[in-house]
Amino acid sequence: MASLEQLKLTFFDECSELLQQTETGLTDIKNGQNTDEAVNAVFRAVHSVKGGAGIFGFEALVEFAHVFETVLDAVRRGSLTASPDVIDVLLAASDVLSDLVQMSRSGEAIVPGFGSECRTALEHLMARDKAGDAASQAESAAPADFEGIEFTPVRADQFDGTPANADGIRTYQITFRPKPELLKKANEPLYIVRELRKLGELDMVAATDELPALAELEFDRPYIGWTGTLRTTAAREQVDEVFEFVVGDCELGIEELADTNSATLVEVPQSPPLAIEESPAVTAAAEKPVGSSAPGGTANTALSAANPGQAPAAKPAATTTRIELEKIDRVVNMVGELVISQAMLGQIVNDLPEGTSNRLARIVEEVVHHTRELKDSVMSMRAQPVGSVFQRMPRLVRELATKTSKKVRLEMSGETTEVDRSIIERLGDPLTHIIRNAVDHGIEAPADRLTAGKNEEGAIRLAAEHRGGRIIIEISDDGAGINSERVLKKAQEKGLVGADAVLSDDEINNLIMLPGFSTAEKISDISGRGVGMDVVRSNIQDIGGRISLKSERGRGMTIQLALPLTLAVMDGMVIKVAQETYVVAMSAIVECLRPARSDINSLIGTRGMLKLRGDLVPLVSLGDLLDLNSTANESDDCVVIITEAGDGKRFGLVLDELCGHQQVVIKSIEESYGSVPGIAAATILGNGRVAFILDVEKLSDLAASASPNVAIAAKKAFAAKVAIN
Amino acid sequence: MPNAIALKVLIVDDQNSVRQMTRMTLEEIGIRHIHEAENGQQAMETAAVQPLDLIISDFNMPEMDGLGLLRAVRGHPVARKVPFILLTGRGDRELVVKAAQAGVNNYLIKPFTAAILRQKIEQVMGKLS
Repeated sequence: MASLEQLKLTFFDECSELLQQTETGLTDIKNGQNTDEAVNAVFRAVHSVKGGAGIFGFEALVEFAHVFETVLDAVRRGSLTASPDVIDVLLAASDVLSDLVQMSRSGEAIVPGFGSECRTALEHLMARDKAGDAASQAESAAPADFEGIEFTPVRADQFDGTPANADGIRTYQITFRPKPELLKKANEPLYIVRELRKLGELDMVAATDELPALAELEFDRPYIGWTGTLRTTAAREQVDEVFEFVVGDCELGIEELADTNSATLVEVPQSPPLAIEESPAVTAAAEKPVGSSAPGGTANTALSAANPGQAPAAKPAATTTRIELEKIDRVVNMVGELVISQAMLGQIVNDLPEGTSNRLARIVEEVVHHTRELKDSVMSMRAQPVGSVFQRMPRLVRELATKTSKKVRLEMSGETTEVDRSIIERLGDPLTHIIRNAVDHGIEAPADRLTAGKNEEGAIRLAAEHRGGRIIIEISDDGAGINSERVLKKAQEKGLVGADAVLSDDEINNLIMLPGFSTAEKISDISGRGVGMDVVRSNIQDIGGRISLKSERGRGMTIQLALPLTLAVMDGMVIKVAQETYVVAMSAIVECLRPARSDINSLIGTRGMLKLRGDLVPLVSLGDLLDLNSTANESDDCVVIITEAGDGKRFGLVLDELCGHQQVVIKSIEESYGSVPGIAAATILGNGRVAFILDVEKLSDLAASASPNVAIAAKKAFAAKVAIN
Repeated sequence: MPNAIALKVLIVDDQNSVRQMTRMTLEEIGIRHIHEAENGQQAMETAAVQPLDLIISDFNMPEMDGLGLLRAVRGHPVARKVPFILLTGRGDRELVVKAAQAGVNNYLIKPFTAAILRQKIEQVMGKLS
């Protein structure tokens, strides 16, 4: 049984979805989809928040939600028009409600008067509501019960299940099938039908299925029955009275129907049945004789006809369940171990002499296949739609636009694109910053936009899609684009580029991602203070992603993020330095080459230079960096991997051998060994040996700093590895 | 005098947290046989096959609201006589009137205490032992 605290958590989870529905619904209405259903959905969502809040005792939440709901009610009744300024107030109310929910969830004390500005705006709207005055006065009092309604609870034992509808007309489904005795007792079916007709509107059909051929007709046997409906104000007793004298001599069924649908027996809901498998159970139950109702006739067939009729059109709704994240992470871990073990198994089988056991090889292949599928399934459990990060953005844009007095519209697409949780968690900050920039610096003031011949309202597009094994997120705006002259000037002032450097437009635009770069004339408190694009870039790189941007002066800018699908498993390049094996992330590798000896200059200590297509690329000797006996420095046959340093500059890693690439499961070593600079994590290779995953971007910095420290750190790491093995 | 422990009750509400709270409140009164439904469709499926002594349903549900469910129940050959209590929010007078016309046995304003719930049930079922 759930405790109160657990139920509160469930309630807050529900609130997240309800608030999302509210925001999305209001935005849809603002964009012109002002349907009844949309308004109803928003009303219901806020009403549900209010209801739950009341049950769990969050008074401030109840009070605000009530005012919000009242205005929404006026909109859906039609007494308040949903004009754009009204919707804006409602959107603001949805933000306040969201904040109140958040504060209630975290147990923060809610400042009295929180959201009062919005509440006043809502109350002004209520005053506008034409028809609502009397109703809203009655509603603003909070009665524990309704006064002035003549409602008497109806006792179950005095209840015959027949409600009178508004105008008192009831509908009865009647089946009447005379038996021979009826005629023998000189009763006339036709007279009975006529009596029925006197009570009201009779709509009968004769059932002639028992009618034999003319030659076989016996004159004193009834062959015909009738079935149909009677609409009347008469009470059940009066209908029964008609059949008073014949009730034992016929098959008789009288059922009162719900007032809405006289033709069908059950008000069949429009929504598709959730569990189609249950329909047979329902029809089976209906088949059982129920009291004195129609014998296997219309009542039951109507019910069984209804369900199969709906089944083909229905799709079973997706069922979800709540699972603690810890449980999923444990499973992911176990599957990771399984992947490793299976790789080792594969290796052993490969190393067996030819023909030892074909069967074994085949089975291992199957195991590999199943493990891969299992891994994919499990990883997909951790996958979340990016929508969960995207959904914060509309509100952000709204608030920023208001703050900067600009008009901005946010369009989102691809919210259902799924990505591992680990990426989602790290995506929020960079995305927020990029969007802030777009509103603050990208989109121009309304007047400026008009002068430039653009729409007063700026547009920002946020889109996500899977492409080539990565997730691509694009943020584009139709603002002013990057002011390349200003950027170049600033970069030259800060010494980031030479005074006479010749750079392409693209290269200039990318300068804004250099550390310490900010061209804002005044540091706006929104995005100017110290958090530059360089931080965004390193955030993205930390999760193994790449960021690039394109800008067109006067037309706008597009930033593209390319992110890996997961942080738990990575495409790695296995390399050898001396006799040691390491792994480098494939996403970190720009290029691999075997340079000619002549292209390498002065490899002194850990550093050197490589001539590459006219450029000089600094080199770092991994052997020296890790204090290993690498012959790469001297040999003619070394391998250089070109990669990027933290500041975006390219450099090359000198190593002995490339051993091939494979998917590796990333295992954190921080818990056991602390943070070792240059070592990102560890993994277990197919041969069962531990290999460190190098943190490539930091290696250049390490090489530049005091070498002895690095060597010591590397030695420690090396010793740690020996200990593991 | 119905025995609380013998009563079979169906709770209908699309909000899980509210459904659970209602369940807990019913259990406080001593009711043990409690069915749950998330929406009108599920409620009708249960009502059609399970013997029920009482249905307690929220009004505010998507697709089929509490009033619609009430009408469906009242028109159903098996379930039509099952006592029905409708949960409403503050200020829903119109709804109570409509519900009365549709054959509701009683109504209950959210949020409610166990004492009030008991009172409303007893108004329909008689004193609970």
